[in-house]
Amino acid sequence: MTAILQTQKLRVEYRSRDLRQATKVALSGLDLEVRAGEVFGFLGPNGAGKTTTMNVLLGFVPPSSGSASLFGIDVRQPIARQRIGYLPELTYYYKFLTAEELLRFYAKIFGLSRGETDKRIAELLKLVELEQAATRPIKSYSKGMQQRVGLAQSLINNPDLLILDEPTSGLDPLGRMKVREIIQRLKEQGKTVFFSSHELGEVEAICDRVAILHQGDLKAVGTVAEVSAGFDNLEKAFLKIVGYHPSPAP
Amino acid sequence: MNNIFALAGVVIKELYRRKDFYVLFVLTALLTLAAGAVNFFHDDKIVRYVKDICLLLIWISALVIAVVTTARQIPAEREARTIFPLLAKPVSRWQVIVGKFLGCWLATGVALVVFYFFFAAVTGSKEQIWPWGAYLEAIWMQWAMLAIVIAMALLGSIFFAAPSSTSTITIIVVGGILLLGTHLKVIALQQPEPMQFILTVVYFVMPHLEWYDLRDFVVYDMGLVPVRAVALATLYAAVWSGIFLLLAWFGFRRKSLNT
Amino acid sequence: MKISPLSTLAVLLALAFTLATGLALTVDNWSTRAKSDNLFGMLFGDGRKLFANHFFTMADVYFHSGYYPSVFDGVNKESEIVETSHGHTDTPDDEVKEDFLGRPHDWIDAFGRNFRITRHTHLEDHNEREILPWLRLAADLDPQKVETYTVGAYFLREHLGRTDQAEAFLREGLRNNPDSSEILFELGRTYREGLHDPDRARNVWQLGVKKFLARPADEQKEDRLLFEEIVANLGRLEDQAGHYADAINWLRAAQTVSPAPDALQAQIDAIQKKISAKSP
Repeated sequence: MTAILQTQKLRVEYRSRDLRQATKVALSGLDLEVRAGEVFGFLGPNGAGKTTTMNVLLGFVPPSSGSASLFGIDVRQPIARQRIGYLPELTYYYKFLTAEELLRFYAKIFGLSRGETDKRIAELLKLVELEQAATRPIKSYSKGMQQRVGLAQSLINNPDLLILDEPTSGLDPLGRMKVREIIQRLKEQGKTVFFSSHELGEVEAICDRVAILHQGDLKAVGTVAEVSAGFDNLEKAFLKIVGYHPSPAP
Repeated sequence: MNNIFALAGVVIKELYRRKDFYVLFVLTALLTLAAGAVNFFHDDKIVRYVKDICLLLIWISALVIAVVTTARQIPAEREARTIFPLLAKPVSRWQVIVGKFLGCWLATGVALVVFYFFFAAVTGSKEQIWPWGAYLEAIWMQWAMLAIVIAMALLGSIFFAAPSSTSTITIIVVGGILLLGTHLKVIALQQPEPMQFILTVVYFVMPHLEWYDLRDFVVYDMGLVPVRAVALATLYAAVWSGIFLLLAWFGFRRKSLNT
Repeated sequence: MKISPLSTLAVLLALAFTLATGLALTVDNWSTRAKSDNLFGMLFGDGRKLFANHFFTMADVYFHSGYYPSVFDGVNKESEIVETSHGHTDTPDDEVKEDFLGRPHDWIDAFGRNFRITRHTHLEDHNEREILPWLRLAADLDPQKVETYTVGAYFLREHLGRTDQAEAFLREGLRNNPDSSEILFELGRTYREGLHDPDRARNVWQLGVKKFLARPADEQKEDRLLFEEIVANLGRLEDQAGHYADAINWLRAAQTVSPAPDALQAQIDAIQKKISAKSP
């Protein structure tokens, strides 16, 4: 299977605020591959480098060394993002626009025709249940509604690869179920989903493969079964891999 | 190009959904009407001072709209985090810069047209003549100047996180050039070295925004500026805008944006 | 004891009101600004004179349709509206001197002149009305600036044919400057040339002379040309009225301060010829 998301010796360094350290290494030589059609879970504790990896893949942060590509195109080329959809963890969109205007704006950036745009907007507003609120400005939306707008905009171009940064963070159980259903549906359509999450139960249920990152290093990668081999579940495997030691009983 | 126009469209929508433009227009209108309502020596035909006051207010308002709108574009996107879903699309940073510039420039252009229509209505009601050629030339030149100012503010907004810093610095620089640009060489010649050298360099290097102020031609009914001069000034504005936009792009393209 | 916010507010309001009424008189005496019965005087205080001077200059700028030196051009001359009000007309030499721009310093200056007014012109054909708002504002801001009234009245009378308004403006100036010989002189001109009333002109000019002679000696020396103008005009007026003796007296008084006494002597000689011709 072809790799549609690939990093090779990806390294990202930041200037450190700590006077004792010149630079802080966020990623040290990450080699990662995500194949077409799979649901890939990207795991790691806070500060592991997951968001940094996504930032590089999306072109927000330039790598210090190494490379990253989407569909074989270097991530520094804007065209690499033509076939992807992105849902950030914190969803903020132009508050003065309506949901419909926002989706139309992004559709124009993807170069969709007017007819295609109208069709996609209608489908997506129905999917995320925002048809009634579509003509109201986003500043009048609740948090949940704003997250649904985020989901809709990530799908406007019918992406082949969806990058989700903690998609169920802050959602109620119904919301989380909805997201899981959408991911499942995308998988059935042959799309690729690459997402980071702290909800290991969810990851275990839907992912084909996972990778565990810790302190900028890739610690484990493989199917859920391969990574959690020798452990009761993925959570225990995760805790062992990141070096968690339970506190002694008082 | 689609991306650039799409970005510009969002900027224009934002300007007209905020209150700034309407407040400035109403203020300009009220002050002009107040000036026009005063009767000096029972003479209704006195009109030049009304033109002078109105055009001054238009210049100030248009400058404020241009600078304040532009200064907040990139910083507001970063602060509101709307820059991330935008850059996650197939949009280059150059397109973001140019799209923001175009949106701000077109929006201030529309504002200028509205202001000048009001100006033409007020002054035309007094003097019963409408020198449209002179008005069009004045609008065009002011709009060309605002292109340079907007590009300058956009450059500032890449390096200053706070829109207020960018606005203040841009307005000071622009105000200084408009007031002193014509006279800087004369001032320089009166200074001792090395100040003379520094001021002379500044005089030759800075964008001469004062060329674009055709208010005197409108107020004193001095006819039209030669088309060739207007064309060259337009080209000059395009070059300077391009320089500032390129510098803005250099500053923005490798900037790390962390979510 | 718990004090309610409402009672605190009531106490504070009462205190503020007491302070305001109590201090109002004291504050009035601190500043002349509060004494001003003029809106601008109240708003700007003594700074209004700066604005008045600026607006007076704006009148001159308007007279020249925007062709005017800035403070950086190093041109130090009396404003042309004042010169014009004294009867000065430009000679070809003056036109050359007026070209404060000179040759362009460089290509930037040369190109920039396409967008500046570079021709020396004066307003005419009743367009002189355009300077009036600035003179009106200057008079409101600084009622003690005598030139504002004399210049304004000159243009109202001579160029716009509005003698009544000129007189009213001068009378307003006189109320604010009761000892001003300049205003009295201009008022006299208004009566004589505008209203063709030599008797009132005579009265006003004679009062002007009286006010002038009441000034300290050094002030009289500085403004001797004003004295010459008043008495010379009185002389011409008396000549036209047939009061030759008075005319000669006034013209002789003018000779004492005039830079061109020969011209006055010629007028005296002409009057004496008339006297000789009349006597048997």
